[in-house]
Amino acid sequence: MTDLASASEVNETGVNITINGVRVVAPKGELVIDAAERNGVYIPRFCYHPRMEPVGMCRQCLVEVDTGRGPGLQPSCMLTVSDDMTVDTESETTKRAQEGMLEFLLVNHPLDCPVCDKGGECPLQDQTLAFGPGESRFVEEKRHYEKPIPISDLVYLDRERCILCDRCTRFAKDIAGDPLIHFMHRGNETQVLTFPDDPFNSYFSGNTVQICPVGALTARPYRFRARPWDLAEVESTCTTCSVGCRVAVQSSRNELLRYEGVDIESVNHGWLCDKGRFGFESVNSDQRLAGPYLRDVNNSDQLVGTNAALEAAATAIGAGRGGGGVGVIGGARLNNESAYAWSKLARTVIGTDNIDAQLADGLSAQMVLSLPRATIADATSADNVVVIGTDLKEELPVLFLRLKGAAQSGRIKLTELSLLVTGLSKHASASHRYVPGELAHAVGELLASNPQLASGSTVVVIGRPSAADFPDEVEAAVGVLTAGLPLATFLPALRRGNVMGALDMGLSPGVLPGRVSLDEGRDWFGSVWSSLPGEVGLDTAGMLEAAAAGRLDTLVLLGADPLADVPDRDLVERAFAGVGSIVAIDNFVTESVKRANVVLASTAFAEVGGTTTNLEGRVSRLGQMITPPGTARADWMIAAELAWRLGGDLELESLAQIWSEIEAVAPSHAGCTLEVVEAEGAIEGVVVPIPKSPDLAGAPSGPASIRWSAPALAEPPSVDGYSLRLVARRKLYDAATNTQMAPSLANLAEQAQLMVHPGELRRLGVESGTRVNVTSSRTTVVLSLVGDAAMPRGLAVMGLRQPGLAASELIDLRAAITELRIESR
Amino acid sequence: MGYLDGFRVTFNRLFEERVTTEYPQEKRPKPERFHGRHVLNRYEDGMEKCIGCELCAGVCPAQCIYVRGADNPIDDPVSPGERFGYVYEINYLRCIHCDLCVEACPTEAITESKMFEFSFANRQDAIYTKDELVVDDDGKPQRQPWELWHDGDDALTSGWMRATAPSGSAAHVGQVGWSGELGYGVRSPELGQTAPSDDDPDGGQG
Amino acid sequence: MRFFTSENQRLATEIIGRYPKARSATIPLLHLAQEQHGWISDDAMIEVGRLVDATPAEVKGTATFYEMFKFAPVGKYLINICGTMSCQLLGADHLMHHAETKLGVVAGGTTEDGLFTLEHAECQAACTEAPTLQVNYRHQYRVTTESFDQLVDDLAAGNLDGEIPPHGTLGRVRQAIPADKSVGAVPPTEVDGPPVWLAVEGAS
Repeated sequence: MTDLASASEVNETGVNITINGVRVVAPKGELVIDAAERNGVYIPRFCYHPRMEPVGMCRQCLVEVDTGRGPGLQPSCMLTVSDDMTVDTESETTKRAQEGMLEFLLVNHPLDCPVCDKGGECPLQDQTLAFGPGESRFVEEKRHYEKPIPISDLVYLDRERCILCDRCTRFAKDIAGDPLIHFMHRGNETQVLTFPDDPFNSYFSGNTVQICPVGALTARPYRFRARPWDLAEVESTCTTCSVGCRVAVQSSRNELLRYEGVDIESVNHGWLCDKGRFGFESVNSDQRLAGPYLRDVNNSDQLVGTNAALEAAATAIGAGRGGGGVGVIGGARLNNESAYAWSKLARTVIGTDNIDAQLADGLSAQMVLSLPRATIADATSADNVVVIGTDLKEELPVLFLRLKGAAQSGRIKLTELSLLVTGLSKHASASHRYVPGELAHAVGELLASNPQLASGSTVVVIGRPSAADFPDEVEAAVGVLTAGLPLATFLPALRRGNVMGALDMGLSPGVLPGRVSLDEGRDWFGSVWSSLPGEVGLDTAGMLEAAAAGRLDTLVLLGADPLADVPDRDLVERAFAGVGSIVAIDNFVTESVKRANVVLASTAFAEVGGTTTNLEGRVSRLGQMITPPGTARADWMIAAELAWRLGGDLELESLAQIWSEIEAVAPSHAGCTLEVVEAEGAIEGVVVPIPKSPDLAGAPSGPASIRWSAPALAEPPSVDGYSLRLVARRKLYDAATNTQMAPSLANLAEQAQLMVHPGELRRLGVESGTRVNVTSSRTTVVLSLVGDAAMPRGLAVMGLRQPGLAASELIDLRAAITELRIESR
Repeated sequence: MGYLDGFRVTFNRLFEERVTTEYPQEKRPKPERFHGRHVLNRYEDGMEKCIGCELCAGVCPAQCIYVRGADNPIDDPVSPGERFGYVYEINYLRCIHCDLCVEACPTEAITESKMFEFSFANRQDAIYTKDELVVDDDGKPQRQPWELWHDGDDALTSGWMRATAPSGSAAHVGQVGWSGELGYGVRSPELGQTAPSDDDPDGGQG
Repeated sequence: MRFFTSENQRLATEIIGRYPKARSATIPLLHLAQEQHGWISDDAMIEVGRLVDATPAEVKGTATFYEMFKFAPVGKYLINICGTMSCQLLGADHLMHHAETKLGVVAGGTTEDGLFTLEHAECQAACTEAPTLQVNYRHQYRVTTESFDQLVDDLAAGNLDGEIPPHGTLGRVRQAIPADKSVGAVPPTEVDGPPVWLAVEGAS
């Protein structure tokens, strides 16, 4: 009786199988290759990849399987477990099959392991050693091809090494959605190729190099740079954008050489975008700022020691503190600990609330911090996902991969509302366009026409659609959403590396660490922080306007380049002219750093540890791999030094100690101790706030979290029939410093151009590609005008920051929309 | 007269064969497989054998070898194939002359000579770079100012001197498994493998 | 500039309409392209890709699998001489040698006037009539050197134009599917719902 009951229980959850004589239970539907691996039996494989559909191409995973009809060889990656199945991975027949397969796979493989980048970490090498016959009976001449051929700017292909496992082509088609590489020809001639003059220009091409089980695909930035046994490795989190993909950072002789994606279930599934994967080149750049310098009244640079520079910075900040005020712009590049240190420095020692990690191109911090937050896992398993505003493929590529995968599998119903056709449009169940300035109304219409959004779980991914439009538009739209979908959760699509960590640490006016407002947190923080500013300060736009009007003495640029990034160049120019002095802390001499009076060098990615926070609020560890150049220092150390020179003391001594202070004072981070973040198996990171366990319910809690109320719905701006409305969109590769300092990525950025519907070209009477005068309320510039049928009528689209000309020249930050007049020259 | 007895011993020894070698003016012959300082060999056409694969650096127990590969320039290749040894350095303050690098080398690029007499005045000289390790245009090692050489010390330095059987397998005894080299061509196997070697009339047996 | 002639463009749309998904029309459209020019150029594959919503790489990957798609210009008449056992026993090698001499090209080559391409072929399933060859995939049985010369002269003179169409033309009768049997895939949109033909069958 009891036996029967337990047997049926097993049947509910799984099936009984025997692997090499050991009886194990496997869940229904599991592949034999996975069931074996879970039970410590490794079956060799080349084509099988756990994140892709199995295809059974390589036949290496043949094992002897008996399902009651006698033993027979079956590919274990194509076979799901069934009750009373007997698997033998060590039988004579299995061994002969595996040896035979390897002998065949090596018929044409050149065995040029000593010159191959994969040599030393090659699945073909390793599995030949472990499962191969040791000798080949084939004495014939091997195949020869021209080698290597570039299939894109980043990836080289050695066709003779290829074993035709279909991993790269499957990835390109099924995961990335860019089927630009394909098997061509037949039989012995089969090879992976691109179409002539149509390179494999995928944002995800680097992943094919990582998953290639032989050395057929190699990455240009890593080619011949090192061998696997040279590399030291540390696990870290990519901070190129705010998705926070897990990476293994590899270096040799204090130089970063390669990133590999680490498979974590909750975020990146092992994939990386090419910008993240190859962006390490900027850390190695010889143009890195290696030490501080001062710029004197004659505009000549003077290299000084760190002490002198810190003294000069403190003097400048002190002058501002005593006089017209200090403003701190930036901080999204910092790790959480440094962000906290700067938040504390500004509030307690400098005594200002003028601090903003966003450069007037993001979303309201109050809104982002108060909205109920979704995780990526929520978004990929919700009934409905609504993506509003951004082109995720360009801004948060790996989030795009996850959502695209979920939409393709039919798990989620994806609805998109955007200004332009995006990378997600063709994967969405419905994709709607709207007109700049009318987002809130478009959201209202979307909700009215899609009543199913209110039923079931809904996750909203919301970003800034265009830097040319007033941000209030997004806030009003979110107001409509929260009213219409009270149970919806949100994923804020802010793009800068650790912008969510910076906001969590209070790098925004009126916000204190731990997602509380300045006013509500006054009592709580009053007991740990020495003092707090009296009133809510200015955001980036406000600081720049104050500086332009001469009401701000000192600007601190914390890894920010406002001249290039704030979508109103004219305003920044006036602010820089009007401000007393500028202190810049950065990795590179950017356009804005060139205007600074005091410049301090700081650390870049992989040069400092600590933690970072992604767009879900997931806190994960950063790894330190290399030492910073020259006398560059971590940002939190600079903050602590400045505090001391300004007559205060932050009482911060180490990254670990800062984190325990954050855990203690920031209400949203309560319980997220270093032990939790660093725990064994915590490579997925920890999403804050951590739900309180019931036994702690009575413990004293901090102040209430921040609140936000939606602005009133504004009337849409009136239509000017003579103008086109500007859309300033982000592209993955642009003129940003970190992209331009990475030689492999720099020339992938498209030149600035203005794109319109071909109908507008006809209306203007010009050919596509003509250079035209473009006039906004700010200035007149010359741009080439390109026709593209994918652009909606009435809009003019340009990259916010492409090489040649930044859209910020044309934009007035305080205007609801930006209208352009285009005239032929 | 007892003290003269002692001189008798000395006197008798005067007529015996001397065992003292006037080192460093003269040297005793060294075993053929003596492990001295390394050379980097070249093919008969002058191309370098090293392909920068770093297997020597990987196997080195003293971690004294630093190698970096690079793309071979298409118009003026340094070695056959697509990759060449761009940096090659051996630190002789660390090297223990175990010869594992020679065993690991897939192209017989690195081998050891019998020269061990070199003393340095500074640490920099102890690091031999590629410029110093590569054989000259006659296939002979390059002599450094601080090295003590006598005639014939630079013989028998090539891949021919690998301690393993050709091809590493007893089934292939007698089959020449090494590539030709600058200045010598393809050398014949040692005695006991097949024919007498042309480097040594005794065929390495005497 | 469109790749297909206007008549072929119309045919292409009709062919796509026969399938639940436009992509299924890849091979029929490649045949159409080969019929138009006698071979498949890169432009042809780009255009087919555009019509069936596939990348040119996918189209080329599919097309290059098949022996009968040609990716370089082919003469007006493609002569395939069978070299498999029955034909070989009855003199195929001799015939091939003769053909090479007569046409002045080796197997795989095209004559300078662009009229003839000569190729080796495997079994053409007419072993009782060996040795055989095909001209544009139309059989010629029991070929002798004399009859081969006669054949080449006739082809060059245009005497067989009624019988043997130029390379690329597959059928004497073009398949026509009435509009009511078409399932109506339209290029290049993807059909996400169940295939339309399922619904048609269920209704009847």
